[in-house]
Amino acid sequence: MLISFNWLSQYLQLPGGVTPEQVAEKLKLSTVEVEKVERLGANLEKIVIGKVLKMEKHPNADKLLVCEVDIGQEKLQVVCGGSNVREEMLVALAKIGAKVRWHGEEELVELKSVAIRGVESQGMICASTEIGLCKMFPLKEEKEILDLSGRRLKIGAPLADALNLDDAILEIDNKSLSHRPDLWGHYGIAREVGALFKTKLKGYSVGKFKKGNDFDLRVKVAESKLCPRYMAVGIDGVTVGESPSWLKQWLLAVGLRPINNIVDITNYVMLDLGQPMHAFDAANLSSRQIIVRLAKDKEEFVTLDGENCKLDSSMLVIADEKQAVALAGVMGGEASGVSINTKTIIFESANFDAVSIRQTSMKLGLRTESSARFEKGLDPSLCELALAKAVELVLEICPDAKVVSNVVDEARWHLNRGIIELSMEFLQKKLGVDIKQKEVEEILKNLGFGLKAKKNILNVTVPSWRSGKDIVMAEDLVEEIARIYGFFNIPSQLPIFPIAPPEENKLRNLERRTAETLVKELGYTEVYNYSFVSTEQVKNLGDDLSKYIELDNPLSKEKPFLRRHLLPNLLENIKKNLESYDELKIFEIGKVFAAGETGVRAETNSDELLPRQDTWLETVFVNKKDNTPFWQARRVAETIFKSLNLEWQIASLDKVCVWEHPTRLAILSHNGKVVGVIHELNPLTANAFGIESRIGVLKINLSKLAEVMKEKIDVYKKVSVYPEMTRDVAFLVKKEISHVEIIKTLSHADQLLKKVELFDVYAGDKLGIGKKSMAYHLVYNHPDRTLTTEEVNKAHDKAKVVLKSKFGAEVRE
Amino acid sequence: MLEQFKKIKSSALSAIHLVKNLADLEVLENKLLGRKNGELTGLLKGLKDLSSEEKRIVGQAANDVKQAIESAWAEKKLELSRVEWVKSSEKESVDVTQSALPLSKCGHFHPITLVKNKLEDLFISMGFMVLDGPELESDYYNFTAVNIPANHPARDMQDTFYIKKHPNWLLRTQTSSVQVRAMQKYEAPMRAIVPGRCFRNESTDARHEHTLYQIEGVVIDHGINFSNMKAVLEEVVKNLYGAETKLRLRPKYYPFVEPGVNGEITCVLCAGKGCRVCKQSGWLEIFGAGLIHPNVLKEGGIDSKKYQGFAFGFGLDRLVMLKYGIDEIRVLKSGEMKFLEQF
Repeated sequence: MLISFNWLSQYLQLPGGVTPEQVAEKLKLSTVEVEKVERLGANLEKIVIGKVLKMEKHPNADKLLVCEVDIGQEKLQVVCGGSNVREEMLVALAKIGAKVRWHGEEELVELKSVAIRGVESQGMICASTEIGLCKMFPLKEEKEILDLSGRRLKIGAPLADALNLDDAILEIDNKSLSHRPDLWGHYGIAREVGALFKTKLKGYSVGKFKKGNDFDLRVKVAESKLCPRYMAVGIDGVTVGESPSWLKQWLLAVGLRPINNIVDITNYVMLDLGQPMHAFDAANLSSRQIIVRLAKDKEEFVTLDGENCKLDSSMLVIADEKQAVALAGVMGGEASGVSINTKTIIFESANFDAVSIRQTSMKLGLRTESSARFEKGLDPSLCELALAKAVELVLEICPDAKVVSNVVDEARWHLNRGIIELSMEFLQKKLGVDIKQKEVEEILKNLGFGLKAKKNILNVTVPSWRSGKDIVMAEDLVEEIARIYGFFNIPSQLPIFPIAPPEENKLRNLERRTAETLVKELGYTEVYNYSFVSTEQVKNLGDDLSKYIELDNPLSKEKPFLRRHLLPNLLENIKKNLESYDELKIFEIGKVFAAGETGVRAETNSDELLPRQDTWLETVFVNKKDNTPFWQARRVAETIFKSLNLEWQIASLDKVCVWEHPTRLAILSHNGKVVGVIHELNPLTANAFGIESRIGVLKINLSKLAEVMKEKIDVYKKVSVYPEMTRDVAFLVKKEISHVEIIKTLSHADQLLKKVELFDVYAGDKLGIGKKSMAYHLVYNHPDRTLTTEEVNKAHDKAKVVLKSKFGAEVRE
Repeated sequence: MLEQFKKIKSSALSAIHLVKNLADLEVLENKLLGRKNGELTGLLKGLKDLSSEEKRIVGQAANDVKQAIESAWAEKKLELSRVEWVKSSEKESVDVTQSALPLSKCGHFHPITLVKNKLEDLFISMGFMVLDGPELESDYYNFTAVNIPANHPARDMQDTFYIKKHPNWLLRTQTSSVQVRAMQKYEAPMRAIVPGRCFRNESTDARHEHTLYQIEGVVIDHGINFSNMKAVLEEVVKNLYGAETKLRLRPKYYPFVEPGVNGEITCVLCAGKGCRVCKQSGWLEIFGAGLIHPNVLKEGGIDSKKYQGFAFGFGLDRLVMLKYGIDEIRVLKSGEMKFLEQF
């Protein structure tokens, strides 16, 4: 929203010398976001009113014209490319040395005398964007220059003087106003500025008018909940035409294009008081009865800008006996609007339900200045003031106009205006600062609150424009006082807490520790992927689409599902990066969504449970030369569990998911609970994702691990002072014999055998199909004495015998 | 024999004195002290043939001689070692700027993790719990419980992803959704932060993302007030951006707090002078905060007459972008290694 500083100043007696920038700064610190202050007349030196006398085609350029421009004392030759330039036109002429913005860019450039395609140009005929006036004069097309014809302007006069450009425009961020319906007009902002500068707001004066009795205007409000107040009055004898220049000037200053005097008046009142209004042409209404009702399903309606809408039965319309003539609070209809031939108008000044307006405007995609205000919840008292102001202006601007009907006021509204009790003690407790009661009272009074003080308790009446949802309890008053008093004036005081340590978050610690190991020890890089996956990704993975939770309104139709695994997006990461890398080590830690499994409670007192959302770690490894990346994945698991000081078990798995390599697959358990999987990606799945290389995958359910994890208790073993003896053993066994079994068996082979360590595995055709060769270091030791060679030999032989008998191993001697 | 010791002493000392390098010194050492043929060693061996009276006298002298030679030798060795070290150290020079061969590949944390961990550690050190909550959340905890009833205009500000077939399920738009869950579980007094992923149904561009990270904070205790909130958040920004950093609070409307503020710090790039990043204002908005609305405390089962509190929320993506000068938010979730390797 744009706010004119001069417009505001009419309602205030600001201390001398207060600048628009100072007002903006105070508003920013205490009320709303002011994005910019623009001085309208800034940087307009050496730009004057000119009149185009003659124009000729540029000899060397089709799209350029050579114009002769009168600027009073002299006539200049100017090259111009404006699409709308014509003889007799009044223009803004920038003389040599003026500062302009080329093509509307931010930066100002000084104009120099130049030859354009061989023709000298002694200045520039400006577009509004080139001199910072695009808010006042928005461009209709790209190459349009500013047309000032039709105004009484002195040729050669400085532009800033001629257009009275001594105003400054404050650009306010509408989002920062969403909770303050009272600030959607100049008068409301003025009230706020008054409170900030401790200066009194002038009363809003409107003249009284006599009602007429030429016709009987009736309004039937069928939905009083959606329309708590509807005021209307008929005026005859209006002449629709151009508005007087003061009115156009105000509108232009805040970026609204003047249309005609009647529409301009309704807009002016809206910008002044924040109350949207509407004017109907009485001749276009089929009756003198206005009906406020819900639309019928599929009722058709054409807006005043010619848009066809299909309505539904939740939308409120203003209708005559035949048809809807306006979408209540959103936009008028084409059929009933004011035109150049209009003689009799009916002014509407009404109040509509905020939610209903918001829903209608969203459903139809029609967001207007009017709907933006109504959907914030306006003060119904405003209707009266706005109507009176509009009538006053019509009577002033159209000398023949007169009020010809009764004034309708269909009203069923009630405001909760308090009384709210506010004690000084409560205020102190909330803010942590003592503010003098006198100052508190002054702040509230300046904002329009009514006060009755009983010692240090204030009984506060809420002004109509702040009642509704805005101010309903003492906390709301605390905010009013704090922001006007100034947050910067409230001292900082650290709170005092007991020194007890906070409860540990096991899952977060686990996430952080595993990430630390992955990055620092294993050289893995962390990615953050989106939580969404596509139908295609699920299909490529080979997963069951029905197990996926689907978004009702996905941003892109491509990815409507919530991820069940981190894997699909990790595979996309690999695919994307593998062009520039031979090896990739990537991991992600994040939540996945499991349809059909239950998680935490959805509401306080309900049995409904949300889907389970565990946090998983998934790592992927690929090296273009490594055809068994299973080992890398296993090493990652091993390193992580070791760094966490947790026992872990690995076992092969029969139940295979489509995307898992069926014979390079293992489950990971801790304390007897399955917490993860290690596998190679099924090469067919990899192909489906466009990847040729083998991929090693590790998945750990961190939520589950955090729940069950129990750290190993390491008991000290006395260091033997007697030397260890190491003997190696190599043997051939069947491929199915697992390392775990061998270790388990060997460790019980002889008391003297203390450590068993795998150091080589080989499988090849030479050994015979289904066989592998394994080699172990066996370490022997006695706690109390040095072993003799004979003792070690005996024990080692025992180990070999066990290998032979238990596994049918062919021990190599 | 005494004479012989004297002689060997003077000749040995002068020989040691004249030695010019460590190699010669070693030869000399062998000649004098060698186990088999050393001159002094040989002489000392002769001591055992003497009578005990002679042994007492000569033995004492022999010992003095041996010590004198050994200490002269040790001194000389130290002296020569120093000289030789100066020479050899020059030959051992390396190019210290040269990287390891081959370059060992290390991993990388995601920049959001780095900033998140730093904030978590800071808050833990101030006695805050770190909590977690569901990303797929109920309408109740995301909106209703934090004072955003149906049809509240604030629901407009956050375009929401809803779940098919479950009209009251959604992807949380803010970590504030954990506020009431935490109050119900831990009751008052309480101090906690909630880092986490949130979702907004809006089209992405260089500055907007549909997936973003926040850190929510909640403090509830007896007598918590605005002044406390200001002080705690000042400590936080000073810790993050340096002791010189100034904090200013401006009013901002959030339905779950009253009063509501947004927190701005002096621009970290221009120190408040005004630049492109702070849009010439000298200030950067980095969090929203406020005193917890009584309706929210009530939903959490906390008596707002007994307890008060404040809540705050940081946008992590924004902090990360400011810290590393990233001007394109989407790169954070691109999975692009060339980007990730920079952290």
